[in-house]
Amino acid sequence: MYDDISDELKPWVEMLQSSVLEDRLVAVKTLQHMGDEEAIAPLIQALEDEDTNIQKIAITAIWELTNPIAVKPLMACLRAPDGEVREEALSALKELIAPADLLMLLDAIQEDNFYMQLNVLILLRKIHDAQALPYVLPFFESEKEELREAAITTLRYLNQVETCPPALNLMDDPEVTVRRSTTLTLGYLRDEETVELLCEALTDDPDWQVRRNAAQSLVLHQDDSSIPWLGKALSDEHWQVRKFTARTLQEIADDSVIPALIKCLTDEYSDIRRDAAIALGNIGNPTVLNALQQTLDDPDADVRIFSQKASDKIREQQGVAS
Amino acid sequence: MALTNQRVDVPVIVDESKCLEKCHACIEVCPLDVLVKNPETGKAYMKYDECWFCLPCEKECPTNAITVQIPFLLR
Amino acid sequence: MTNTQHLKTDVLVVGGGTAGTMAAIKAKQANPEAEVLILEKANIRRSGAIAMGMDGVNTAVIPGNSTPEQYVREITIANDGILNQKAVYQTGKLGYEVIQELDSWGVKFQKDTYGNYDLKQVHRVGKYVLPMPEGKDLKKILTRQVKRHKAKVTNRVMATRVMVKDGRARGAVGFDVRNGDFVVIQAKAVVLCTGACGRLGLPDSGYLYGTYENPTNAGDGYSMAYHAGAELTNIECFQINPLIKDYNGPACAYVASPFGAYTANAEGHRFVSCDYWSGQMMLEIWKELNSGKGPIQLKMTHLDEDTISEIESILWANERPSRERFHQSRGENYRTHGVEMHISEIGLCSGHSASGVWVNEKAETTIPGLYAAGDMASVPHNYMIGAFVFGRLAGVAAMEYVRDVAHLEPDADWLAAEKERIYKPLQNPDGIPHTQVEYKLRRIVNDYLQPPKNTHKMDIALNKFVNYHDTLDLMGARDPHELMRCMEVHFIRDCAEMAARASLYRKESRWGLYHYRIDYPEKNNEEWFCHVNLKQENGNMTLFKRPVEPYIVDVNLEEEVYDVKVTSK
Repeated sequence: MYDDISDELKPWVEMLQSSVLEDRLVAVKTLQHMGDEEAIAPLIQALEDEDTNIQKIAITAIWELTNPIAVKPLMACLRAPDGEVREEALSALKELIAPADLLMLLDAIQEDNFYMQLNVLILLRKIHDAQALPYVLPFFESEKEELREAAITTLRYLNQVETCPPALNLMDDPEVTVRRSTTLTLGYLRDEETVELLCEALTDDPDWQVRRNAAQSLVLHQDDSSIPWLGKALSDEHWQVRKFTARTLQEIADDSVIPALIKCLTDEYSDIRRDAAIALGNIGNPTVLNALQQTLDDPDADVRIFSQKASDKIREQQGVAS
Repeated sequence: MALTNQRVDVPVIVDESKCLEKCHACIEVCPLDVLVKNPETGKAYMKYDECWFCLPCEKECPTNAITVQIPFLLR
Repeated sequence: MTNTQHLKTDVLVVGGGTAGTMAAIKAKQANPEAEVLILEKANIRRSGAIAMGMDGVNTAVIPGNSTPEQYVREITIANDGILNQKAVYQTGKLGYEVIQELDSWGVKFQKDTYGNYDLKQVHRVGKYVLPMPEGKDLKKILTRQVKRHKAKVTNRVMATRVMVKDGRARGAVGFDVRNGDFVVIQAKAVVLCTGACGRLGLPDSGYLYGTYENPTNAGDGYSMAYHAGAELTNIECFQINPLIKDYNGPACAYVASPFGAYTANAEGHRFVSCDYWSGQMMLEIWKELNSGKGPIQLKMTHLDEDTISEIESILWANERPSRERFHQSRGENYRTHGVEMHISEIGLCSGHSASGVWVNEKAETTIPGLYAAGDMASVPHNYMIGAFVFGRLAGVAAMEYVRDVAHLEPDADWLAAEKERIYKPLQNPDGIPHTQVEYKLRRIVNDYLQPPKNTHKMDIALNKFVNYHDTLDLMGARDPHELMRCMEVHFIRDCAEMAARASLYRKESRWGLYHYRIDYPEKNNEEWFCHVNLKQENGNMTLFKRPVEPYIVDVNLEEEVYDVKVTSK
């Protein structure tokens, strides 16, 4: 076997066939460090070793050689019973997978194996191809929350997908992990109800991370109809919701949210004081100058700097000498 | 000049029951070259107290025989 | 009896880290027929500043996010105007190609859902920071490419001197740090890529190797370039970093800040506005620590569990993965404790500040046939991408140069003298151990050279460093490994003397804390808007002013100051 390999590799390749586990470990490790591409075939064979440590080292070694012929054998490791083996194979494939592998992935995702399906959903994110959409959609209705979450996350990575009505239903998913990811994905969809769903999530979802993600997604939509909802979210009980809402209001806002933003200038969290000051500067209404004046001696350096910049900006726009 | 053999707490600890005699993985990856084999036992050990606690020795060991501690003066 | 190995190559690359691997690859791409040899004192698989990977790129100039001109302007301001803009421009211009090439080799940069690079803003203006949450395998990927391009690698050999004949670099000598062989390499061009001088100051912990930089980087290239007759520059512009106290690794504020973490004083308030490391920022930190408002910390306690877990997963997998166990062993947790930070010991590193071997925009030093790249080559704030860019430039330029150059036989007398110098500690196995000799040297650096600088202290330092030659003669080594450390102490001494002389020469303050002089506390552009260069002349260290090259990107240094502190009216 492997007659054509070099003398330097030979002893290690032979040792990899040993019946003694310790010898096989030394052999696979040494072959990994040698990094010689001639060793790829024996290393691929080592993926089927009975010992999971050998399997893992073999995966790493193959990964370091980055040879596309290893893609198929590594795919088989995605359904391995050992979690660490699956994880190492997934990491390797994230690097090795290429757009040309799409059809193979779409075949694999139809296999009735939970781990295979989950891992392929993750790998599809590397390819960004909307052709995968029909194969992803069925997982929105999976009984397993991990698959629903993976599928809705993958949708975000499929460029060119602009509308996807089945995705909107997942905003009502009972699992927070699914709703959190759906909220982020909706930032990229242009279905008619999207902004309304995000506004409702921003103010009504019981999970603060869903509400925060909604604020983040709304900045991508830049839709004026969301401004009143954002104004309301500035008094959310969780500071990160207030922070990301203030940041979104730096991009879209009008005079109606000024009172709520001014209130944020005395927020307990410096990030919010800073981000509200920036938003007020961007709105540009000179009536806020007094309020901004009071943050110029804020204990936090960032707040001082950005409220100064906001004041300067408003005065500049008004043509008032500072 | 006299030299003493002062004890030091070394950061790299090798579990000799797991260390494989034929394996040199940790020795080859150490940037500071502080690990060697004990010629009598064939087991690796930290010969020089010059450790950057950077961990390749621990991560590359195929039998998880190595534990790296933060050097005593820093921890 | 010492065995001698003779090696011959067209291009010799000394140091197989970030810049060195790239130099070798690019030299081979330029001419696959020519021979390229990397000399590495560790193993290139895990060596250099990024031995354990890197969690992000600091200076990525990517179309749509920033331009090379903006980048040059930013660095001009951050480095108080003292730079060769043409060289810095290269990093801005070629950085994107480098990133694309690394990407094609399998290096994973953070991308958004559309597959575009996901840049973060950390600098004053412009987005230059590109996270690499899975950057732990960078060195393995580079090693693979070196192999594929068929560049040769000799691991575990440390160079000690560049061979120079007729004013040109002709190779290098060194020794095998395991078997002790004397190694002579003839080359037509030499590329020095040996990294920073990270073992200049002594860390507060007192552990010689508890440094920020990989401690193998002892200033080898600074010293070798100096002895080859090359010019060095900006040596007084030290590297000082805000680091996790005692651990001495980066707190990675720029990784954690997009998640909402920030650098704060003991009361939890920000006192600097910008998390990009500069001398100006370091001066603010130094002042805060000395104002009684310390300790300072990277604050994350206000963040939620999921966010902290995500920060942990990035920080603990990359660059310095042992920080997890550092915090654990102290019973500290980001959920309940700020990360206490402190000012590091001083070092020389152009990757972070500006001190290094003088190079132009082609990575040429002032000695024909000698090139430099990476942390040891003076291109201010060059970081990892700059090391790749200048490695690439050096590899290409060196290969071009060797076309018309022949090998020269080394000078036998010179070789004999260098051999005697290297092996002297082995003749004296009971001499003073290198650890003690190094500890004392670096303690003197701390006592007399650490900013704020003053003339009296630096005069003492210089006197001690010059006399330290005699102390080095007392060093003993029992094996080639100890000999390696002994020769590194020689490098450190050379760097210390350069640091003292350059700091004394520039009679003003500049670059914030990096060159903060108590006796000349102000910036003085009239007399000191220039580089301070030094070189060996007739055996003496000579210092002189070198004018700043005319700018190619217009910057008004009077108006655009690096405002890391508040300037409220």
